[in-house]
Amino acid sequence: MERNGKLLVFFIVLSVIGVIFITRLFFLQIVDTSNYYKALAYGSNEITIYPARGTIVDRNGKLLVYNDAVYDLMAVPKNIKSIDKVKLCNVLQIDTIELNTRIKKASRYNAREASIIYKSLPFNIYSQLQEILYDYPAFFIETKIDRRYNINGAAHLLGYMGEVSEKQLQVEKYYKPGDTKGVSGMEKSYELYLRGKKGKRIVLVDKFSRQQGSFAGGKFDSMPVAGQNIIASIDLNLQEYGEQLMKNKFGSIVAIEPATGEVLSIVNSPNYDPNVLVGQSRNKNFSALLLDPRKPLFNRALKAPYPPGSTFKTVQALIGQQEGVLFPDTRYPCHGGYHMGSLTVGCHSHASPLDLESSIQQSCNAYYCFVYRKILDNPRYSSVQEAYIKWTQYLNSFGIGIKTEIDLPEESPGIVKKTQYFEKVFGKNWRSSNVISLSIGQGEIGLTPLQMANVATVIANRGYYFTPHVVKAIGDEKLLPEKFKIKHKALIDPTYYDSIIAGMARVCKPGGTAGRTGIEGIAICAKTGTAQNPHGAHHSIFIAFAPRDNPKIAIAVVVENGGYGADYAAPIANLMIERYLATDKTKTTRQDMLDRMLNSNLVGSSIYDAPKPDSTLRKTLLPLTIKP
Amino acid sequence: MNYHRPEENIRIDWLTVIIYILIVSFGAMNIYSANSTIDHTFIFDLTMEYGKQFLWIGVAAIIVFLILLLDPKFFNFSGYGIYIIVIIMLLILLGTGVINKGAQAWFKIGSFKLQPSEFAKYATSLALAKYLGTFDVKFLGRKNIAICFGIILLPMALTLAQNDTGSALVFVSFFLVLYREGLSGWYLVIGLYMAALFVFTILFPSLYLIFGILLICGAVFYFFKKYAQMLWLSLIVFFASAIFILSVDFIFAKVLQPHQQQRILVTLNQDVAEYYPRKAKEFSLFKIDANRKDKKASKRDYSYNVRQSKISIGAGRWVGNGFNNGTQTKAKLVPEQHTDFIFCTVGEEYGFIGSTLFVLVYIFFIGRLYYMAERQKNVFSRVYGYCTASVIFFHFFVNVGMALGVLPVIGIPLPFMSYGGSSLFSFSMMLFTFLKLDANRVNEISSVY
Repeated sequence: MERNGKLLVFFIVLSVIGVIFITRLFFLQIVDTSNYYKALAYGSNEITIYPARGTIVDRNGKLLVYNDAVYDLMAVPKNIKSIDKVKLCNVLQIDTIELNTRIKKASRYNAREASIIYKSLPFNIYSQLQEILYDYPAFFIETKIDRRYNINGAAHLLGYMGEVSEKQLQVEKYYKPGDTKGVSGMEKSYELYLRGKKGKRIVLVDKFSRQQGSFAGGKFDSMPVAGQNIIASIDLNLQEYGEQLMKNKFGSIVAIEPATGEVLSIVNSPNYDPNVLVGQSRNKNFSALLLDPRKPLFNRALKAPYPPGSTFKTVQALIGQQEGVLFPDTRYPCHGGYHMGSLTVGCHSHASPLDLESSIQQSCNAYYCFVYRKILDNPRYSSVQEAYIKWTQYLNSFGIGIKTEIDLPEESPGIVKKTQYFEKVFGKNWRSSNVISLSIGQGEIGLTPLQMANVATVIANRGYYFTPHVVKAIGDEKLLPEKFKIKHKALIDPTYYDSIIAGMARVCKPGGTAGRTGIEGIAICAKTGTAQNPHGAHHSIFIAFAPRDNPKIAIAVVVENGGYGADYAAPIANLMIERYLATDKTKTTRQDMLDRMLNSNLVGSSIYDAPKPDSTLRKTLLPLTIKP
Repeated sequence: MNYHRPEENIRIDWLTVIIYILIVSFGAMNIYSANSTIDHTFIFDLTMEYGKQFLWIGVAAIIVFLILLLDPKFFNFSGYGIYIIVIIMLLILLGTGVINKGAQAWFKIGSFKLQPSEFAKYATSLALAKYLGTFDVKFLGRKNIAICFGIILLPMALTLAQNDTGSALVFVSFFLVLYREGLSGWYLVIGLYMAALFVFTILFPSLYLIFGILLICGAVFYFFKKYAQMLWLSLIVFFASAIFILSVDFIFAKVLQPHQQQRILVTLNQDVAEYYPRKAKEFSLFKIDANRKDKKASKRDYSYNVRQSKISIGAGRWVGNGFNNGTQTKAKLVPEQHTDFIFCTVGEEYGFIGSTLFVLVYIFFIGRLYYMAERQKNVFSRVYGYCTASVIFFHFFVNVGMALGVLPVIGIPLPFMSYGGSSLFSFSMMLFTFLKLDANRVNEISSVY
């Protein structure tokens, strides 16, 4: 028997290969971790479980926004074998040709992935389908959540949802492509609370993304956390009433509870039904709204600065007193207006001279021209400019010319010009007479309806306001963000409000500028405004609060091109106040006024545009011939 | 040694049997892992591959039992007969075989598909053992070598003709046996050198390659110029290499059909789509025509398999995910995982420790077969034993090597592990035939050789 050394050669070759393999294994499995991480990514699929989004109820607990389950019939085209298509079509109430084209279309997209065969199943079809679906293994029903709005208005307040854009995806890692988030209104500002926390389920998938079971026994899975429910400060009843009143008008209503800063209603007109921006037709409807010349998407209440007109006189009177240039018994004459050289600020005919209280009641233009010149030409200050700066500081303390920081997105700070602006227009040494129109809330001044309501709030509270907010409480703990509990004080001593409020209390009584719009039994304190605007008829403006003692509601109404303040804004505001304070929410003592508001139509006379401040404003405004 | 009762002195090598049972059971476990789904977990589910594998294991047990019952002389006696039958089967297949995975390698009997090329290894082993064991083959003369080559190359060529490149390459392992039986090691060295040149010629510009060989030969000549024969040796090596390279280049570029080219490229792990434009631009004597590319064939790209295989093995880390828990395995991300890529399952589910243990056990198993082959007293048994060990070794080397990404993808199974009846039967037959011969060795009279 031959023994040669060749067996050793075989053993050596075997050992060398063993060493090579084990070294390679060590490299692949231990040294090079990239394969391990690739494996984690390849072999498993993270399935997001979406939490239920929080609901929104109004201050009385009435449902405003909720979720609704939508059922889609899905199918994996590749798995559709021989099935009884006629039976399925009978249930779906479509013909077989239609079903075949839908399956073919889904198959073209991806034969191995589930596609929608029938979107948003009607409930009767859904229940019938449940019974027969057993015979159709390739088909299944997928439940999706859609937002539903229990009101066909208040769209700007509640907001809408939209798909997260690619740009946002890079910044906010929480969202994945295809996710939706609130993009306007409360849906946007309370997104963090409403959205809850997504859960995830990691499943093993094969190379065709077909699920093969849970990963690591569900060790890394997490349950979704439902979004927090929100109580809005809105009064649904008042909101709907306001929207009825504003129908066929352009403009806005903002009502605030003075003691807390809670916004009771924000009405924009034109408005739209928030439910149209949900579901399949969202994109189509959105572009229709965007292209609508009436600009229904424009949030006038927060973004449109209007000249406040005569409502601004209340603020002027308060500043004048604080500055020590105006006293309750100060009287100024009015001879059809204020005359100074070639300058004339017109006024309507009334008794003359008037004291402070009567000047509010009668809304005398000349009176406030005197007051404003006293403020600006106050010898306490070295120049008009310095006095003007001091004056703007007063305005800011009312929330004018600054953002109110309301908890809704996209708010305009309104318009209060800096001194530099006037230097540019009138030269370095501009005088009080140059800006005389500001005394009656015209010219280079703009307040959003929200800011006007805030002014009413400050007067109602005699000197302070809380940041207006549309949320009353968040979640089960009924939390309210701390910033809404901070008192913002106006730079006016409380004593100076007496004569202003006394004057405002007479506005809605006979002899006042809105004397015919009063509500019996309610002490409404108000101020009318009629803002001249370069685009057409005057804007009808009204600010008010009620009752006089311990006020429950402060309100501002702007009706574009509505004429005098008493024409539209005053009746609407007073009807709103009545509705809010009344125990019986169905009746009104002013049926005549209500009918007139409901039946009026100002859309024809409108210029389809919100006022925009421009540098040509001044030339068109002078000489002023303002009526109360 | 005891000679007084030779007919009862049968000693099965139980250690090898135990390792065989361990590997087959482990293989079935891995096939179950790779193949079971949520809907199919019952281990004897005959609609699934793992269920069938249990059936094949049962059949294999019967085959093994029958082989152990046979008289060991039967194998020596029928060596040529089985070989001729298998050759005839392979010839018939060329005309009628069922196309599977691009290869014409299957007989279809009812629902059962038989792969004769698997049995060709068995038959070739027997025939080779028989020939070398014949009394007059004492020295490997040129004629003997030629006959041995013929015995090996005939089934190899027929398998290659069926498009089954992987199975055909396995026949290369028989040359290891010839080496043991006295074939000069230079044959193996020249063979490896030609294989390397072949691969390099296809992958790199042939003229650069020839230039490189010229440089090496020149250097060898320069450093050993005091030996006169080095000049001739260098010249012969250079011209032989150059002629070989140019002929490979010419045949590959001008003679072979696109689908044949691509089969070679795929075996060499090349991206077919990328290869043709690169090769067409290359500085080469025989330009390949980029337009001849067969678009249909380019879809078969094994680089995906290898990538997935490496990821799957890499996912195992130290101890692996555990039985039936491999994420890549359960997700069926590696193509052919239950057959040619079964090692991925081992890598992923048992980790570095398990895989290393597996490799060590398998190498010990092969080593033991070589050891047992060497202890045979007659040439037939020894040659047969070396054939068995070498075929299993070649399969193990190529299969695990491709799963680890160190060798090109050649689709051959891992013996006793991979799914498949034909493969399990043929390897079990081979192994137990050898065990039977080994068990009987003490009864044999020591061969004269």
